[in-house]
Amino acid sequence: MRTVLIVEDEWAIADWLEVLLGENGYNVLSAGNGREALDILHRETPDLVLTDFMMPFVDGAGLIAAMQEKSATRDIPVVMMTSLLESVVRDRVIGYRAYLRKPFREAELMKIVREILAE
Amino acid sequence: MSSESDRFSTGIAGLDTILGGGVFEGGIYIIQGAPGAGKTILGNQICFAQAAQDRHALYITLLAESHARMIGHMRRLAFFEEAAIPDRMSYVGAFKTLEDDGLRGLLEVVRREVRTRKASILVLDGLITVHEKARSDLELKKFIHELQTQAAFSNCTMFLLTSASDAQAFPPEHTMVDGLIELQSSLHGRRAERDLQVHKLRGSWFMGGRHSYRIAASGISVFPRIEALLETPSVWDRADGPVVSFGISGIDAMLGGGVDTHSVTVVLGPSGSGKTTAGLQFLCGGPVDEPAMWFGFHENPMALTIKAEALKLPLKARGDSISLLWRPQTEAILDEVATEMLTAIKARGVKRLVIDGIDGFSKLTDEKSRIGSFLSALCNELRALGVSTLATAETDHAGITPGQPLAGVNQTGLSAVAENIIALHLAALRSETYRLMTVLKSRDRRTDMRMRRFDIAESGIVLESDHHGAENILRDLSRQGAPPPPSPDPKLTGE
Repeated sequence: MRTVLIVEDEWAIADWLEVLLGENGYNVLSAGNGREALDILHRETPDLVLTDFMMPFVDGAGLIAAMQEKSATRDIPVVMMTSLLESVVRDRVIGYRAYLRKPFREAELMKIVREILAE
Repeated sequence: MSSESDRFSTGIAGLDTILGGGVFEGGIYIIQGAPGAGKTILGNQICFAQAAQDRHALYITLLAESHARMIGHMRRLAFFEEAAIPDRMSYVGAFKTLEDDGLRGLLEVVRREVRTRKASILVLDGLITVHEKARSDLELKKFIHELQTQAAFSNCTMFLLTSASDAQAFPPEHTMVDGLIELQSSLHGRRAERDLQVHKLRGSWFMGGRHSYRIAASGISVFPRIEALLETPSVWDRADGPVVSFGISGIDAMLGGGVDTHSVTVVLGPSGSGKTTAGLQFLCGGPVDEPAMWFGFHENPMALTIKAEALKLPLKARGDSISLLWRPQTEAILDEVATEMLTAIKARGVKRLVIDGIDGFSKLTDEKSRIGSFLSALCNELRALGVSTLATAETDHAGITPGQPLAGVNQTGLSAVAENIIALHLAALRSETYRLMTVLKSRDRRTDMRMRRFDIAESGIVLESDHHGAENILRDLSRQGAPPPPSPDPKLTGE
């Protein structure tokens, strides 16, 4: 079973993603911010990270930067889920595989998740 | 001790006025209101105003709408600036932290995020959730106290948004914060009105009572109550200046040369008696380059222009020196309309003003008890600005009662606001209808109060040179018999 790490400070969105991905057969890990996600990444190696951009403690850009510093996490694909324009995200962070503009539909998310995990 | 230099603007001019100049840096303010009152918009608007000043704003949500939806909604409002996010304006969610780690966890998020993002302004959306999570009033008070400490040490001004709480008349946090702003909505008939009230503001005078606000595409606009805003006029009323022409020679003669520069003249009369015509002649009656303005509730600019052309008045020829503002009495707010009028007068340096339908102001509010003090404050301000004002008002009584030229006219509400009162009458004598005019009041001037007959000719209102024509009509009217005088018109008295 493939594992997806959700990094999201908005609990309702995090809950919804957990249920959606669980129903689609994925093992789900969840973190409320980038700092919690890095704690999880010390002990787990998910197949995909779905992360918000604006979060407390460590934001999405900080998470990706920290992941790229370590060989164990460098190659884990990351999907950036945010209300920010992609141009804004692109100016601040590199190294994410895909961008999803919030609010998005279930189908959009699942298409990206399946495509990345099929690679 | 806070000083004026520690203050900053909320970005909402009317709110700053009510707050006596804005909020204090490092202060904590509660914004309270029922769902839909506009708390989130107000919070965002204040943040974006700061972001526009290159300051950093942070919006922390608890149990509120999702950031994506919130940003989606804010994107439609004029103050929203996409480029400000995420560097100058950022959104973070902290409900999970509050759930898992309680109030201490939330305080840690606030402390870290304010410091990391160098935030000078913070909005915490959902204080009611903190309230519910707190195990006691004491724990909540400690939370607010720690926030105060953080706000003071980081010089970050904090706004805590919360729904109205019916459970406690005086929630503990109200006693601790530096300011409390309440947003309310109420129904008047089928019309909804929004009011803002500052209940508390430490270290500063503020304008008490309720003030109207509107949520539109530009965001929230706040309109201080005119009678509170202009309790004393904004500038010193010098009360001097020459007598100026009314624009109708016969009326100038009756008034001993014209009207005072700093004066308000009310022209009363029933529909069709010639009030608008008198107003147009007054409007065009000053020097060619004198800025003049028509502010009307009834006829639109096109209709007025056509009417002026028919009367051969130089309205078009005056170009930009005369402006025509039309404000239909639909969903307008009393203080908004008055503010709009005063702003235009100041911006254009208007010296001659016609308010067509001054009774229209009273139709904009259900609080009739306000109208007397509202008109008084408004007219005092117009005088202080050196504006010669003519205001028309419609009376219900169309006829005239011989021997009682004031029948149907209640002067009580007008005496306080007007130096001059001129009444127009319609007198139906057999199959003819005649127009008559009386100067009912002219403060501190020698006035010819004898009634005049007048006609609206090609060039406008023309008065007979003496009172004999009016005398004859009144004599014939008394022979014909007239209906009994009506009760006084309550429209202008606010009764």
